[in-house]
Amino acid sequence: MPAMRNQIRELRGRRELTQQELADQVGVTRQTVIAMEQDKYSPSLETAFKVATALGVSLEQCFQYDSRGKR
Amino acid sequence: MTSLSYREKTLYASLAAEIVVYGPYFFMHQQNSVNKVAGMIIGIIVLQIILQSIIAALTRNRVTDERDRLIELRGYRAGYLTLASLMVLGLGMLWFHATVGHLELESRMLGLHFLSVFFGMLIISDITKTATQIVAYRRAL
Repeated sequence: MPAMRNQIRELRGRRELTQQELADQVGVTRQTVIAMEQDKYSPSLETAFKVATALGVSLEQCFQYDSRGKR
Repeated sequence: MTSLSYREKTLYASLAAEIVVYGPYFFMHQQNSVNKVAGMIIGIIVLQIILQSIIAALTRNRVTDERDRLIELRGYRAGYLTLASLMVLGLGMLWFHATVGHLELESRMLGLHFLSVFFGMLIISDITKTATQIVAYRRAL
């Protein structure tokens, strides 16, 4: 299990945003959004804040850290 | 190609250009010359400019982000490690020829021999760099 997990897919679905729309708002590529949703890429703190802001939630609601997970 | 990012498309183009231009280098090793090496360098530059221009013209969204930069760094690290390892090997070979080897080549041929070897190392490390970046993209990182 990865150390960083997120709820981007669920939150994006609730706000009816496409991956491309979220990517445009955050300033990343659609492939990066896909990688984050699949827990294959842990974004920088700045990008994490931008994602949470774009999804209208706090950082903790969007991203969770599991200390037992694989880094 | 629609699922590929701009950076990923440029990497595939780079790898294709490297294989097309540098490929014959390994199969026609005996006929290598300074002119041929210079021709390859000019060839790869021209081909890269053409391919990158086509990709840039065909891609509307040319955003690059922190993940692209991270993958780029990984590629450069792999390329550097490959080049450094091959350099150690090359220097060992040079030492061997200079001390215990019996390579009887005239100085001009010897220079060409080492030009070929070190240019080959550069090609291998460059291809390793590009391939590592492509693998990182395909694995999502």
